[in-house]
Amino acid sequence: MFIAAALIILSGAMGVIVARNPVHSALFLVQTLFGVAALFVLQEAHFLAAVQVIVYAGAIVILFLFVIMLLGVDKVEDLNVEPIAGQRPLAVVIGAAGIGLMLTVLVIATDVISGAHSSTGPLGESDIDEIAKSIFGDYVFAFQLTGVLLTIAVVGAVVLARRAATDPEPIPESAYDELVAAQIAARESTLTAEGGDGTAQDGEETTDDGEDSADDGEAET
Amino acid sequence: MLAQYLPVLGLLIFALLFGVGGFLTSGLLAPRSPNARKAAAYECGMVPAKDTPERFPVTFFLVAMIFIVFDVEIIFLYPWVIANGTLGAFGLFSILIFSFLVFESLLYLVSSGALEWGPVSQIRRARTEMVDADRTTSSTVRRVGLEGRPLEPQDQTEEAG
Amino acid sequence: MSVFAVDPLLAGEVGLEVLAVVLFKVLVVFVLLIVSVMLMIWAERKIISDMQNRIGPTRAGPWGILQTLADGLKLIFKEDLIPDNANRTVFKLAPLLTLVPAFLTFSIIPLGGDFTDKDGVISLFGNDTYLQLADPPIGLLLFLAMSSVAVYGIMLAGWSSGSKYPLLGSVRATSQMISYEAALGLTVAAVFLQSGSFSTHTIVSEQSVWQWNMWFTGFVPMAIFMIAATAELNRPPFDLVEAEQELVGGFHTEYSSIRFALFYLAEFMNTITISAIVVTIFLGGPNGPIFIDAVAWLWPILWFTVKLFALLFTFIWMRATLPRFRYDQLMDLGWKVLTPVALGWLLFLGARDVANDRGWNPVLVVGVAVTAFAVFGALLLRAVRMGKQVRELEEMRG
Repeated sequence: MFIAAALIILSGAMGVIVARNPVHSALFLVQTLFGVAALFVLQEAHFLAAVQVIVYAGAIVILFLFVIMLLGVDKVEDLNVEPIAGQRPLAVVIGAAGIGLMLTVLVIATDVISGAHSSTGPLGESDIDEIAKSIFGDYVFAFQLTGVLLTIAVVGAVVLARRAATDPEPIPESAYDELVAAQIAARESTLTAEGGDGTAQDGEETTDDGEDSADDGEAET
Repeated sequence: MLAQYLPVLGLLIFALLFGVGGFLTSGLLAPRSPNARKAAAYECGMVPAKDTPERFPVTFFLVAMIFIVFDVEIIFLYPWVIANGTLGAFGLFSILIFSFLVFESLLYLVSSGALEWGPVSQIRRARTEMVDADRTTSSTVRRVGLEGRPLEPQDQTEEAG
Repeated sequence: MSVFAVDPLLAGEVGLEVLAVVLFKVLVVFVLLIVSVMLMIWAERKIISDMQNRIGPTRAGPWGILQTLADGLKLIFKEDLIPDNANRTVFKLAPLLTLVPAFLTFSIIPLGGDFTDKDGVISLFGNDTYLQLADPPIGLLLFLAMSSVAVYGIMLAGWSSGSKYPLLGSVRATSQMISYEAALGLTVAAVFLQSGSFSTHTIVSEQSVWQWNMWFTGFVPMAIFMIAATAELNRPPFDLVEAEQELVGGFHTEYSSIRFALFYLAEFMNTITISAIVVTIFLGGPNGPIFIDAVAWLWPILWFTVKLFALLFTFIWMRATLPRFRYDQLMDLGWKVLTPVALGWLLFLGARDVANDRGWNPVLVVGVAVTAFAVFGALLLRAVRMGKQVRELEEMRG
């Protein structure tokens, strides 16, 4: 069972990295999360398994997908461009160092990492009672801080997403004129390049796109 | 305990077999004559002219965000509801404080207009005063056609133009 | 009282015989679901046509009862189109992601079993078991988890079609479903509070013949659950997802043949499942008076079926009666009414239980609760007004 869950997790994690399409990556992430939920079930932590699916798969990855879909970044990335200079050699070095570190730990610390099951065993009758005791007992202050943190997260999201509310700067009229001028130029160039049939339709298409993006701009503010 | 999931697993396998079996049967039985028109995006018979819009109102994103907050809140509520009998008043008050914090973020989100949808004319119409029944008893004239229109003169000209 | 109930069938060693019984139960539930979905679609069409002064399906079988089967068979023989723009893998995966959660949720529904003196245990081929497919420790959380997964099916179906209307439909659908999931989770919490358990079996056995959770939780959670469930199902009046006048077919516009059939099937299967969950958590499940002892096993199943039919009829009735919401109305209802009310009501129920334990003055508790409701309600109203003003200002600035 453990091996099956681990395989689900590892293949999912590999998929997240290997998949070129961000949406596929997000789906592999969901697969990984389900694998982790299966691991929780194996540890008799049933409530945590359900939470894993409800919160991570049901809310957080949905948010990821929303951002991917709504911001139109769901195009295949161009792998030839390096966003941060020197990123790739650095990644190779750090990755190798990480693997090396893990292997060293595995070799040295055989007495600590024995692979045996936890000696304390599963959480008893139900994990949820234990969680309730912890949250509303020892860690009640941290629990309330979580509430504050959530509030801060919402405020942050609103401030980032709705900057227009405090900074009312409409799109300048001149920008729109420039856009139209550029489109007219584009249409003329296609007319001279091809001439004859079909070009009128192309021209319409470009103007439509221009209007579309302008509309979207308004919707965003 | 693990065995309790066995029937669920069984039903999962049956459901997958049903779905995949359906695909396979249909794949064997269905005719196949694709052409470019059929495979184009469906636009009620029109030739697609625009690409799919790439940007959506940011409100959708904010809804997903506030949902995460509430989902976490709900998850914290579950241990409390299960253990309410043993936690007693202390648990009640700590959950009340926590709920207030979350409710506060909902208040902030709502009051900043982040959860407002739809055309603003709807909002304006709801805010302007409607003609009430009294008016029709005192005079026979009803201001038909002005309902929902802003009363400021410059806005009226805007609507007229 | 244990939080997690345990099906006696799977409590001990799982041998070959137990496996056979499990397989039998799975098969029965599987066939039951498919057949009831077929009948449900037929009944919905028939009842809706009666309400609209039409006749409805009449040709296939007596009263057209085989209409769904005929439709299903026809769809298998139809050409299966995948649009050029589509993301093929995801496009093929999406119907399965909708179908599988629809099936799985039903596994936690107790269908029968005598809860008055035998704790719902029945004997199947000499093995004691519950008359429900499974009673996993997470219980009703499985329903919440599955409804989270079901969002993916719709979201990805719309996105992968590579077409405008499906994308718009799925973005609307996702937003709508997650909005109402919050209200759904909060009302389910009220039931957990009442029963002190996630397990559907315990929830049912905590209720008795007439003592239903509907009364104990004060009706408000049930009302909110029904509304939120309708929205979660994307059924009218919340079917903005596939508003024909605006979005053609919504998220499944580009789907044809068997893939469309699976979406359709899942939609109605979810309707049945949600009704069954309402019966289980609010209406006492299979609890009911038992009259003739000779066929005592039959009565709980009968009561369950009667309650289920009543709820399904309500859903169909709502569909025939209510006009569709506008999107802003839908979102306002979800976030500004249902979620806060559900949260407030849950906290009130919790306070009531604590007050009962500690012997606080009930008048005082109710007074404080009413004041709190009034204060926070007023705050929320004010916030809503401010929000509208902000929105208006923004729009005026352009």
